[in-house]
Amino acid sequence: MGAFAKIIATAMVSIFVQNAIFERALGANVVIYASRKNNHVVGFTIGMTAMTTVASVITYFLDGLLLPLELGYLFMPLVYITIISILYVLALLFLWRLFPDIFARIKKHAHLAIVNCTVLGALFLNSVHGNDIWSYIGYGFGTGIGFFLACFMLNIAHEKLDSDKIPRAFRGYPIMLIYIGIVSMGFYVLVGYTVNF
Amino acid sequence: MSEKKTKINFDGFFRQNIVLMSGLVTAPIIVAATTAERALVLSLCFFMVSYISIMICRLIPRKIMYSMRILIYAVVAGAVYIPTALLLSMLFPETVSGVLIYIEISVVNLLLLAKTESRFYLESFGVMAVDALIYIAGYAGAAFAVGIIRELLAYGTFFGLYLFDEPMPAAKSPFFGFILVGILAAVCRVIVGRRGAGK
Repeated sequence: MGAFAKIIATAMVSIFVQNAIFERALGANVVIYASRKNNHVVGFTIGMTAMTTVASVITYFLDGLLLPLELGYLFMPLVYITIISILYVLALLFLWRLFPDIFARIKKHAHLAIVNCTVLGALFLNSVHGNDIWSYIGYGFGTGIGFFLACFMLNIAHEKLDSDKIPRAFRGYPIMLIYIGIVSMGFYVLVGYTVNF
Repeated sequence: MSEKKTKINFDGFFRQNIVLMSGLVTAPIIVAATTAERALVLSLCFFMVSYISIMICRLIPRKIMYSMRILIYAVVAGAVYIPTALLLSMLFPETVSGVLIYIEISVVNLLLLAKTESRFYLESFGVMAVDALIYIAGYAGAAFAVGIIRELLAYGTFFGLYLFDEPMPAAKSPFFGFILVGILAAVCRVIVGRRGAGK
């Protein structure tokens, strides 16, 4: 029960207090891309949440080996990317073998959901803030759900942000950033402090 | 075999700027570029990781499946990151520790993972070498623009040199980064639109 509570508590922190998009802009470009279509929101969220959660479990054990080394931090991006790559290939093989229809649909976009700043950033933040395997799992899971929250908030605002009421120069990418900035300000006020990265 | 493009195009600096126009690489600028020195560190890191990786990855055969090539690009960038981080840590120890995560995530930047396939590897080697530099210069330009504005507003300094009392401390926060980059992106669109109309 204690482990479950810790997972939920850490997930809550990574969704609302240290949201990867609103607090750290990790994967802001991906969220803008994914939020355009409803099926992208769902697909990206599932892929990202699965990857951050599973990769967090593996990196928990590897961090134990790397972090005590003086120059271990230099090798972390390479190690993390290798883990993400292996998991990504395994996931693609699994889908190709058992769900070929889904594989055919997602193969063009899958790498965008998996190999990005949000996933890699979650693993790095875990190595800094995580202290046991439950917090690693919670943070990884919460990062994926936090991505969904950001994606959903952008998705529902798309229609208004692309309307004629918005000056032409601001339509699209600029107004999206300003919108995320205003939501981010709300999170900042909600939390009451800014995170140290 | 398809013919490679041999004409240098300078649109990577402004018209297709990866921060302000296409938004391919935004996180480091929005959050970490709060001073000119940080902008310098981010730009140097981005240059070393991306440029060297793009050059090395050119050697990877295109027969390999696209999804796999992307992974190899990221792994190569992860290897290039090691000497890059070591060098930057020696040159700017305090600044690097402050922006470490944004240096680390540069191994999955979309200039490397997307532009290589859609643009750089369709060009001849010489053109690609220049074109990639132009894109990286565009990133550096955006990083310095954002870094200098935020340093002036948040700290009242320029490259650490005191100018006046900080008029707007919140300028160093991520939400201000989003809003500032959004406004700069809109300004760039106005300039590009006027240039287009002029022609």
